[in-house]
Amino acid sequence: MTSYLRYLAGRALLWLVTIVVAVTVVFVVPRLVPGDPMDAMLQRLAAAGGAINAPELIAQYREMFGLDRSISEQYVSFLRELARGNFGYSINNFPSNVTDIVIPAIPWTIGLLSVTTIFSWTLGSLIGAIVGWRGGRSRFFQALVPIALVLYTTPYYILALILIFLFAFTWRIFPLSGGAFSVGVRPELTLKFALDVLHHAALPALSIILVSLGWWFLSMRSLITTQKGEDYILLAEAKGLPERRILWSYAFRNAMLPQATGLALSLGHIVGGALITEVIFAYQGLGWVIYNAIKSLDFPVIQGSVLLLIIAVTTTNFLIDLAYPLIDPRIRQAGRE
Amino acid sequence: MLGISVVLLLVLLGLVGTLLTSPEMRRTGAYPVRLPPGQGTLLGTDSLGRNIAIQLSEAILKSLQVGLLAAALGTFFGALIGFASGYFGKLVDAVLRVLIDVFLSVPSLVFLILIASLVKGVGVQAIALIIGMFAWASPARQSRAQVLSLKERGFVQIARLSGMSGLEIVFLELMPNMFQWLGANFVNAFLAAVLAEAGLSLLGLGPQRDMTLGMMIYWALSYGAILQNLWWWWLLPVLTLMCLFLSLYLIHLGLDEVSNPRLAAQA
Repeated sequence: MTSYLRYLAGRALLWLVTIVVAVTVVFVVPRLVPGDPMDAMLQRLAAAGGAINAPELIAQYREMFGLDRSISEQYVSFLRELARGNFGYSINNFPSNVTDIVIPAIPWTIGLLSVTTIFSWTLGSLIGAIVGWRGGRSRFFQALVPIALVLYTTPYYILALILIFLFAFTWRIFPLSGGAFSVGVRPELTLKFALDVLHHAALPALSIILVSLGWWFLSMRSLITTQKGEDYILLAEAKGLPERRILWSYAFRNAMLPQATGLALSLGHIVGGALITEVIFAYQGLGWVIYNAIKSLDFPVIQGSVLLLIIAVTTTNFLIDLAYPLIDPRIRQAGRE
Repeated sequence: MLGISVVLLLVLLGLVGTLLTSPEMRRTGAYPVRLPPGQGTLLGTDSLGRNIAIQLSEAILKSLQVGLLAAALGTFFGALIGFASGYFGKLVDAVLRVLIDVFLSVPSLVFLILIASLVKGVGVQAIALIIGMFAWASPARQSRAQVLSLKERGFVQIARLSGMSGLEIVFLELMPNMFQWLGANFVNAFLAAVLAEAGLSLLGLGPQRDMTLGMMIYWALSYGAILQNLWWWWLLPVLTLMCLFLSLYLIHLGLDEVSNPRLAAQA
């Protein structure tokens, strides 16, 4: 058990270091802009047409983050405010908190991402396993490979554009945009609302699912193909085990391990792509919030959401790392290093 | 392979396009607005009266430029850092390894958004620089693994026994073995960089002064090209981008086959 704990400790340390580095980067980068960070922000705003309540905003910030003190003291107060969950005020929607703007968007993003990722990962793995195993015997299966190739190399948002054009513009099956639900509808826990959400979220989800399917399919297929050449498969066949059993109980289980690692490694990439896809559909997730903040130069919101995203992804990575030794006993031994 | 030929074709198109046109033709309003392809212009015009074909040729070159620069930076520094980590071992390795892991696990696009939002309105080179800043982690990890495996192989030990200095070993023995795989990494980084640039541009953080493929799509979306059925404005850069990605990936696969003969036997 101790090797597992040692592995845990190593991963927890990585988690901590990543968060510290991220926080520091988010702190340092705006301050690399010459001049007071607040001045830089407000200068841009003034150039773009002015900000309401500017003097009060500056005064509040100066006080909260101690911008008139030394850098190290600023860092400390920055951390302190973060620990309290205070990301500051939104410039655009002053006096709203950054948290007030960001928090409502999070469930939408998490919902979209988790559903699409889990769905495409499982489906892709299953189909990939079947095609990898049955491989050259069926023309249909072989035709899937180049399709998956084209799908996988397309970014989510590019596919999204094509899907919008086809399904929302040319054939009006799905709505063009308007976020996760129709304009003017209040979010409530009814079936009608849920259906509305599904109707609106179908295209964004589809863009992510199709592309991800391509990748998980291809990767699983090559993993299974590698497994097919292993000796223990030969032994199982010699023992006379039914083919279905060999595939699912032997090859599939061994191929799942690298597939799970692949999931953990590509989380960052998936999140990034999904953010942009949200923008195209005006889906009110975190991506949409960030996009609007960029357009209106609302730096506290940008920084707050960036930080939140990094913490979320890192934590998810950590959780997957935690679960990993439970599936693969070899990792437990590696923790002894 | 097929990939290389497509990429070269794109480059050729881009070069031909930019060299044959004059700055006058590129100005806004040089052409009648919103012409569909075929009515006098090759690929149509956009809402601002700019010729799509001309834009496309310029955009191809600029996008490739970004990808090239960012990938070169990332691969070079990544290889260097990974190399140092693997070769010197002990403390250097421990520190660098943690750093590499951190940068690998973070969604780099998010950081890119943060940085790019602060330096809005920059040119192609600056964007390439920023993207390159986050492109080093993957080559670094691979480079480190390569070095670690090469370090223990026979020819290094023989070189050491025969009295070659550390530096000599580095340049004369280890480096040549890494070039092959370095190429594959470069293509990968190239792909990722073009992807990142397209993503940033779509969000409005791209090089506003220049025209890249991502920026073309951005302008198309900003002017509501889909809703106005100006399909040639957004579809063409989209298709070009897809071709670019596909061909780069094919090159990557090809290089993989070369450096890993086992895969070639399977194919």
